[in-house]
Amino acid sequence: MAATPWEGELVNDVKRQFGAQILEASSYLDQNFFVVAPEAVISLLEFLRLEADFDYLVDLTAAHYPDRENQFDLFYILYSFARNERIRVKTSIAETATPSTAVGVHLTADWLEREVFDMFGIRFDGHPNMTRLLLPEDWQGYPLRKQKTLIDMDNRWVQENLGIESGQ
Amino acid sequence: MKKFLRTIFLVDLLQGLWVTFRNQHPKHIYTEQYPAERPKVAERYRGAPRLNINPDNGETLCIACNLCALACPENLIVVTSERNEQTRRKELTEFTYDTSRCMFCGLCEDACPVDALELTQDFELATYTRDGLIWDRQLLEEGPKPTPYRF
Amino acid sequence: MPEPTFLDSTELVLNMGPQHPSTHGVLRVILKLDGEKVIGTECVIGYLHRGVEKIAENRTYTMFAPYVDRMDYIAAISNGLGYCLAVEKLLKVEAPPRAQVVRVILTELNRIASHLFWLGTHALDIGAITPLFYTLREREEILKIFEDYCGARLTTHAFRIGGLQYEVHDGLERQVKDFCDYIVPKIDEYEELLTNNRIWVERLKGVGILTADECKQFGVTGPVLRAAGVQWDLRKAQPYSGYEKYDFDVPIAHGADTYDRYVVRMLEMRQCVRILRQAVEGIPEGPILAKVGKVIKPAAGEAYVSIEAPKGELGYFIVSDGSTQPYRLRVRPPSLINLQALDRMVRGGLVADVVAIIGTLDIVLGEVDR
Repeated sequence: MAATPWEGELVNDVKRQFGAQILEASSYLDQNFFVVAPEAVISLLEFLRLEADFDYLVDLTAAHYPDRENQFDLFYILYSFARNERIRVKTSIAETATPSTAVGVHLTADWLEREVFDMFGIRFDGHPNMTRLLLPEDWQGYPLRKQKTLIDMDNRWVQENLGIESGQ
Repeated sequence: MKKFLRTIFLVDLLQGLWVTFRNQHPKHIYTEQYPAERPKVAERYRGAPRLNINPDNGETLCIACNLCALACPENLIVVTSERNEQTRRKELTEFTYDTSRCMFCGLCEDACPVDALELTQDFELATYTRDGLIWDRQLLEEGPKPTPYRF
Repeated sequence: MPEPTFLDSTELVLNMGPQHPSTHGVLRVILKLDGEKVIGTECVIGYLHRGVEKIAENRTYTMFAPYVDRMDYIAAISNGLGYCLAVEKLLKVEAPPRAQVVRVILTELNRIASHLFWLGTHALDIGAITPLFYTLREREEILKIFEDYCGARLTTHAFRIGGLQYEVHDGLERQVKDFCDYIVPKIDEYEELLTNNRIWVERLKGVGILTADECKQFGVTGPVLRAAGVQWDLRKAQPYSGYEKYDFDVPIAHGADTYDRYVVRMLEMRQCVRILRQAVEGIPEGPILAKVGKVIKPAAGEAYVSIEAPKGELGYFIVSDGSTQPYRLRVRPPSLINLQALDRMVRGGLVADVVAIIGTLDIVLGEVDR
């Protein structure tokens, strides 16, 4: 990704506040993003919300990179009504990590974190109701991880619950 | 006062009833009389697939290039071909199209370089068996045969 | 434990849905009731989950385009527009002007269709059966235009990455102009039926209040946010597909209740007609497809692109690894995030209002569950 450095008042403020925890502030395709250390995410969201008017958490999602040491990327997409500006906060976490929940900062994160848990199996620490959102409660496995066992998951669930050989 | 009178005389409700009454006129009848009358679908309608044949000699237009099968998101087209040793060209042997999985997106007809595969204006695709939804070459070449309904 | 007597009130758990006509699909809401009062809800969703995001990882960019229509099937064209814009962003191309104008026309028609469908079903939930027939009749006219243009009525697959799937058919301008002339008196007619109707007003005024601050906390967008007095519309805030060229207003209301959301959507339809009239006047000549090549292969990188769908902000976040298939595709569905605010809106209200509030959020379960 040919990202260019992102500079501006906001970046300076954030860097002053968080220092080395901000690993990168870049811009790609005119979209700005921070790459931060996982432990700084929630305080950064809080800072952006209170000090920089980023009061709307647009989306929260993840991506799985099985070959990396830190297997998951978490993305927080933020928008500010006052500035009419959209930024992303990105962090990498290990497979076993339990990042802190963002529900305390943005209520939107409630279902979005449940969906990430549902699809990737990332447990958010301190979330009020860390259960599956879309899939059945007794579903085994996490479908959006990059793995080859999706069809097995489906077949198993169909066999157990519907009593037929295969859903496909 | 005016508002009170309007409330007493149910003006708001009568206004709505008048709209309903206006729409009772027979010229507002909108029901499609299908199947007694077959609705006319658009020229570009994406319905039942057809494998076009050359009207001059009755041979298929398909050159068995397999592009439709590659373009299909659901992988429901299977094209088999064999090489004709005399003309050194690939010739179509079998063509199956699974309409049960088809979502009529039109990517296959878009990919076809010779306009052989086409989504036609026929929309009556129901059958009594699941196997009947898998169309073979013969069915595709004959094209859809709309059912005439009599009353 | 003593036997409950006649005067005792206990908490009642009522299961609404998933097969309930006014949950607009397969939404299940577990209501905790104290008499008539709702003291808590829990939404159970996922009955329509098809794993769209996983499907995307196993399809090429071109192949995935028809699937996005199946999320919000009431506004399939908006879904397609968002997806195409997101991939175009990654590819660093822009659709040619002709394609952009046609995109705007079809998207705005789709917005009217979506709002009409919402109005009909919402009124049906409240108990007014008549508007449903009228709104679906008018929606039919829009679907006919779609059918003439792209050959499908609901899941249209009308756009293509880089432009349009099909060249404009003869008579699109005429059809759209006729439709604009046709729909405005019809909108007046709906307003005659509903706006002053005492039952409608009594059922909706002051019901399901969600203030602007709460909207922002919950990430609620679209007409719900605008009815709370926030003049925010992505078409104005961050214009895409040439929306900056059109002259239109973003209607708002200040009551933040169900009635005001109805008012906002009615006004929005009129604004759509305004945009349509301007767009159809000047469809420029030129190509309909930018140079994108047969194989779509964006450079590695990430992009988030969002549009103003009829329900709110619809976003696509695509992570590309430089191959022909998206590495990760995330859809930010407005319905899912708006639905999250349901609990806040119904809590403390009456059980009869739950139906009205679900209706006013304008959710499509295909999009909630994906």
